[in-house]
Amino acid sequence: MTKITQKQLIGQLQQLKEIKPRKEWALLLKSQITADLSAQAEMVSMPEKKISFINGISSVFSQRKLAYAFTAALLLIGGVFGFTTLFSFENMPQQPAALSSQASLKSNVATLNNKINDLAQVAKTGKKTSISSVETEINTLTKNLKNNPISDPVIVKELAVSLKTLADVPGVDLTENKDVKDLYQTVVENQIFDLEKTTLTTEQKEILKTAKDLYEKGKYADALEAILMINN
Amino acid sequence: MNNLNEQFGQIYDQYIDKIYRFVYLKVSSQETAEDITSKVFTKYWECLKNPEEEVKNPGAFLYQVARNAVVDHYRAKGRANTVSVDVSSEIADPGTSAQEKAVLNADINVIKKGILKLKKEHQDIIIWHYLEDMPIANIAELMGKPEGTVRVMLHRGLKDLKDIIQES
Repeated sequence: MTKITQKQLIGQLQQLKEIKPRKEWALLLKSQITADLSAQAEMVSMPEKKISFINGISSVFSQRKLAYAFTAALLLIGGVFGFTTLFSFENMPQQPAALSSQASLKSNVATLNNKINDLAQVAKTGKKTSISSVETEINTLTKNLKNNPISDPVIVKELAVSLKTLADVPGVDLTENKDVKDLYQTVVENQIFDLEKTTLTTEQKEILKTAKDLYEKGKYADALEAILMINN
Repeated sequence: MNNLNEQFGQIYDQYIDKIYRFVYLKVSSQETAEDITSKVFTKYWECLKNPEEEVKNPGAFLYQVARNAVVDHYRAKGRANTVSVDVSSEIADPGTSAQEKAVLNADINVIKKGILKLKKEHQDIIIWHYLEDMPIANIAELMGKPEGTVRVMLHRGLKDLKDIIQES
């Protein structure tokens, strides 16, 4: 730049007004500060999370009791009246099958988590590494998820933490990876659905609204970050 | 609490762009600007919650906290108030489309680099007056200096900036 008049300089200075913060960041920061997370969020959201998890376990437990009682009653009826062939037991093995699919998902998530932790550790030491093993695990998990939607909130939470850890690994950017996007979407969908059924404070509702807006815009990673703020 | 939230929300909406811009122009990094800006508003929220700490002029408070936070940032980094050209060339990394537009404009980038080379007080006055349209009287109050002094500093700062840009 050679010669410049004072008027031109002031004009160019005023063009710097175009510098603005990222909208998503500004929205999140506002929610985060007013949510006063350190105290309120923990007190309110954690017991509800625990309750929803306990409800999940107790519902499985009560189904089992019901199943045993039902089987015993049928054997008794069958033994006495010979009606054993009247009832079909086709549905009975479904529960163990459903449980095993969730166990398989849990195992996938645990493996992924280990790989991500390894990756984070290697990144810290500055050694050159390949992220292919993490990508393979993500691909396996995504395929598994397509056939077996997650129903256990604990698995969702573990997966959310894994994704957050992955996002924080320096020098690794998998945000454009299709499988990673799918994983984020699944987790965010599950979490929003779960949180909508939960009693939230006004601040937490605001964060949830922000998360839903981000989800609708396809910004799943940002949406997850907002959700984790509610859950932490 | 809701009243406090509303009060905070109004000030936040009014100042978030200004404070971020003020900090960004002084640190030339999106990440650092976000970090410092979040600290500034967290500090304001803490004061708002504490009945013993009254904030009479939120704008002045936020700018003051931001100035101190920027100084702390450079102190922690062990750097001088001015930033080398090499460092200031890192400006071009950030994210929003509006910001990218500004960065892509070569002349604007030169201005940003020029601002970073100014004295800290000149930086503040130029940003406040020409970017935030703050009257001289308010700047004088904010800096605790007479209006005449601020006018002279503004004139000198602008002249220095012009020289820096013409030399580049």
